[in-house]
Amino acid sequence: MLVDIWEGTDPRPEVERFCELWGIEGTILVDDTAEYARALGIRGVPTNVLVDEHGIVREVGATELGELYAAVDRLLER
Amino acid sequence: MRTRRSDATGRRDLARPWRDKLASLGTHPEDAETDVVGGFAAGAACRVDGAVPGRTIAEIPVGLDPEGVAVDVARRRAFVACSRSDLLAVIDLDSREVIGEIEVGAEPIDIMFDPSADRVITADAHADAVSIVNAETLACERSVAVGSYPSGLTADFEARRLYVGNSLGSSMSIVDLDSFETIAVVEAEAGAGAIGVDSSRQLAVCVNFIAGNATFVDAESFEAVGLVELGNGACAIGIVPERGEAFIANSLAGTVSRVSLDDRSVLEELRVGRAPVGLTVGPAHDRIYVTNRGEGTVSVVGVADGLEWGRIPVGEGPGGVVVDPHDLRLLVANAGTGTLSVIEDLLNGPRAERPAEERSPLIGKLLPEFGLVDFRTGEKRSSRDWAEKKYILNFFASW
Repeated sequence: MLVDIWEGTDPRPEVERFCELWGIEGTILVDDTAEYARALGIRGVPTNVLVDEHGIVREVGATELGELYAAVDRLLER
Repeated sequence: MRTRRSDATGRRDLARPWRDKLASLGTHPEDAETDVVGGFAAGAACRVDGAVPGRTIAEIPVGLDPEGVAVDVARRRAFVACSRSDLLAVIDLDSREVIGEIEVGAEPIDIMFDPSADRVITADAHADAVSIVNAETLACERSVAVGSYPSGLTADFEARRLYVGNSLGSSMSIVDLDSFETIAVVEAEAGAGAIGVDSSRQLAVCVNFIAGNATFVDAESFEAVGLVELGNGACAIGIVPERGEAFIANSLAGTVSRVSLDDRSVLEELRVGRAPVGLTVGPAHDRIYVTNRGEGTVSVVGVADGLEWGRIPVGEGPGGVVVDPHDLRLLVANAGTGTLSVIEDLLNGPRAERPAEERSPLIGKLLPEFGLVDFRTGEKRSSRDWAEKKYILNFFASW
């Protein structure tokens, strides 16, 4: 799922435009002050956080496509 | 519609929430001399290749989503395009304070300073226009229509031409820098934005973010003369004309392409930090600076050796970067924190240890619980909703 951060203004029109441009249809959570992101130590976007079935964080970062595929394979133990 | 915040007098103070936030985090603009890692006394100015690649001189709150920076060297001022505040923050570079705000068109992204005409020009993406600001009076004098969603700007000062990349128009507008008449509109590709000009080769290079390539255009005839395929999310360019090379940041690939301007081919891919979105060439042309939006750092990359010399921490979500020619300090617009970082580069060459992103201390630990509003349904969602499932949280910003 996606977590929208650092909007600053009303996120709705900006996020709608963004989703339309990139064809995004999944769940979007809003953390507009980035309080939760900051608690995770996230300092930039995009950042992916991969979580296993026990709620344990397995990867943080993994934004380049090849890197993300490899991280997903590890998460799925493929 | 954009929401605007006002104080009791009606004067907008868009930076206030960000100043408050920084204060709550223990970061104050008054903390002017703060080592990045530690070990350097305030005031150290020489490049010494020590234990730290750079140090933060100041982090100045400016407004919402600052994207572009330009410098008026003679007046010791910086102008920062705050795209979600629809204004320019004017900063005194000696006192490191915001001394004014200038309203421009909707969503100013890129910005440049024209010293001979004493003007500041912004690319106002949501306005489909560029704003022209008088650098002496700080008044926005006019708006000039260009293509759809302009997001990149550059100029050929000798030829007195302004180049504008229109992202949704997939085109490049070429405008007379004095009369502001449109001279030509050249077809580019999807996501046309950043532009580099090499006047010695009469060449303009338009970087196309969505298409992931660059359009080469003859700057005299305005005809497209080549197309170079790049990495994913190509979005910033710097040119070193004496080497016949362009450096283009590929934000989704995490690389910078070294491109031959003569062969119109990619010579090599240089590794930098995560999500590089901003790039500028150092005044001595010996290094480039690349802002890594994904990790809050600036990569310093050698022009000759192509090595990443070091990685300097800045604010969150950095984008636009320039070098102040007066003192060679970097000015970095941090879209996440809403600040401008003033940074001293302390590198003289590659460090023995290759730069790398620090491993997150979160790895191997339980994800802290969250409770966040679902954008589509308005319901509050908790991490418990995904209990016993494997999932990815993708943190993003719509800018």
